[in-house]
Amino acid sequence: MSDEQNLFGRQLPLASGPANSNSRPAIVTIGQRRQCQRCHQWLLPTDQLPNRAWYCRQCLQLGRLTSQNKLYTIPEPNRFVRMKGPILTWPGKLSPTQGAAATAILDLARQRRNQLLWAVTGAGKTEIVYPALAWALAQNWRVAWVSPRVDVCLELAPRLQQAFGHVPQTLLHGKQKAPYQYCQLTLCTTHQLLRFHAAFDWIIVDEVDAFPLATSPLLKTAIATAQKPTGSHLYLTATPGEQLQRQVRQKKVAVTYLPLRYHGVLLPQISVCLIWRWRERLAKGRLDPKLIRQLQNYQQRGQRFLLFVPHVIDLKPVAQALQQAGIVGGLTVHATDNDRAAKVQAMRDRTIPFLITTTILERGVTFPNIAVIVLGGDDPVFSTAALVQIAGRAGRHRDFPTGAVTVYCHSQSRRVRLAQRMIAQLNRQGKRLGGRQQ
Amino acid sequence: MTHCLLCHQELHPQMTLAQFWRWQPLPVPVVCPRCEQQFERITTMHCPQCGRQQTSLAVCHDCERWGDVPLRNHAVYTYNEAMKAYMQQYKFQGDYALRQVMMEPLKQALAQQDYDVLVPIPVNQETWQTRGFNQVTGWLLNQPFQQALLVTADHKDQPQSAKTRQQRLLTQQPFSLAPNAATVLKDRRILLLDDVYTTGRTLRHAAAQIYLGGAKAVTSLTLAR
Ligand SMILES: [Zn+2]
Ligand SMILES: [Zn+2]
Ligand SMILES: [Zn+2]
Repeated sequence: MSDEQNLFGRQLPLASGPANSNSRPAIVTIGQRRQCQRCHQWLLPTDQLPNRAWYCRQCLQLGRLTSQNKLYTIPEPNRFVRMKGPILTWPGKLSPTQGAAATAILDLARQRRNQLLWAVTGAGKTEIVYPALAWALAQNWRVAWVSPRVDVCLELAPRLQQAFGHVPQTLLHGKQKAPYQYCQLTLCTTHQLLRFHAAFDWIIVDEVDAFPLATSPLLKTAIATAQKPTGSHLYLTATPGEQLQRQVRQKKVAVTYLPLRYHGVLLPQISVCLIWRWRERLAKGRLDPKLIRQLQNYQQRGQRFLLFVPHVIDLKPVAQALQQAGIVGGLTVHATDNDRAAKVQAMRDRTIPFLITTTILERGVTFPNIAVIVLGGDDPVFSTAALVQIAGRAGRHRDFPTGAVTVYCHSQSRRVRLAQRMIAQLNRQGKRLGGRQQ
Repeated sequence: MTHCLLCHQELHPQMTLAQFWRWQPLPVPVVCPRCEQQFERITTMHCPQCGRQQTSLAVCHDCERWGDVPLRNHAVYTYNEAMKAYMQQYKFQGDYALRQVMMEPLKQALAQQDYDVLVPIPVNQETWQTRGFNQVTGWLLNQPFQQALLVTADHKDQPQSAKTRQQRLLTQQPFSLAPNAATVLKDRRILLLDDVYTTGRTLRHAAAQIYLGGAKAVTSLTLAR
């Protein structure tokens, strides 16, 4: 790849750039304040180095930018290699409800409207986007498919590779070692968008409500900067946050609803089980007998399950308490677990009977025929959206469209009630589309 | 609301009654208790030469191999995963704000050392330009120090971790004395300050130069071992 291609639609700190590149200072002073031009966050008056240079702390993970740096770019020319075959090579077929949603999305994309696909967990939202994506690629658009969660990107990469077999694609994330490739279709984490400038005609933001995008002004700016001024974006989620729902009501974002799963069976509802002072009990190395009985029952029946716990520090005591009760063979996993990918794969390959996990597996991962249990569902880490997503891990597969979701809490929680209400509401709408009861 | 410098969670400083009665400004916490606990303080059970944490007070195997080039080093923390991650972000990513994390612990450690003059290990000119700071002096609050050493060879061009032990041990003397060194060092007890004690090669080179400058005694303190 040429140095030029490396700079198409990007913004990189270089010592010098090719003749046709533009450059601008990485940090600019506006009035009394300084602003980083990569992430557009303001520097603090304390962010100065002893050598007098200023530096941005907000986008440090991508390599430090100082006031000594310049950002180089070449305006995006959409200069892609010719494809040697059909664009869409996906062998699947959309259901009539999925097809209707797909057409709606394509129409809005054609009008370059910013839009939201609000589809329940397990609706098959990825495939619903395929027709619009195929159209966009045929228009020679440069497209990014991004997610705040690296797991989502990793799971998506092989699927997109298969569905768009002749389209050159690149995957970017923080731990990626492979060098950057200029491609028409870029799959990356939202953080990586900070390296782009007016590059994309269309950006698909998968799991838009997921942490950290939902709370980060920096990442919202990243999407705005990476998108061309003439470009637009599509948000995908099962659980839009309050802010996004407001934008929908104010008609700032067009919306397509899909309240029914692709297999036509309604969402599993959450059942709540109160276990008083489970934390104190766990500190003594034990878990509630109700929970133990349920899990023993699962293990005897060969029912595989995901057990969600609130915090990383809960993983070990819970695993030990289960072992005491003879529930063995599973693994624990969390966000910074080095073996995370391998453990998730083991669960997918059915080589282990269960995973004990933090909210990191709340979305983006699919295991067929899984039961879901949440311990401490009243802990604030389990937002309403997180609970709906977690419940959505169950009953996703066509052959196993039902599944149990049990949430164990110390006390009744508003977030759990709201999650139940959201599922009930989606199921009412799903029923109207012909959805079947579990 | 302030946030933990390391994990960005909100900080909820809790004042103890003892602090309340002390009538002095409280040290403002910059990291949360959970992050702080990740750093392991070295207890009195350490190697008398290099300061590493162990279960006895005997000279450790590594120090024995140095033979008759003794050094008296103290280290504040064990070089564990948390410290490695901290150094990675502070020193190699260049997040200067993280100096604050170690200011208070280092201040306390310095207060326990017996010395007349504090000499931090310098960084070379190129590092100063690209990194923008000396990671060691970054930790100093307002403790006086003397820049009595200069770097002549690029002893820290590649990270120590990128070299093999053999390469590290063989490196040439990278330091020379600053022009004013003799007046600063003569008959004084010097405390060298460095970030991480890995093989002890850097500190031994520095100590040798300090002795040449006329110092009476040389000891050292590192943040980690
Ligand atoms: Zn920045
Ligand atoms: Zn913290
Ligand atoms: Zn030793």
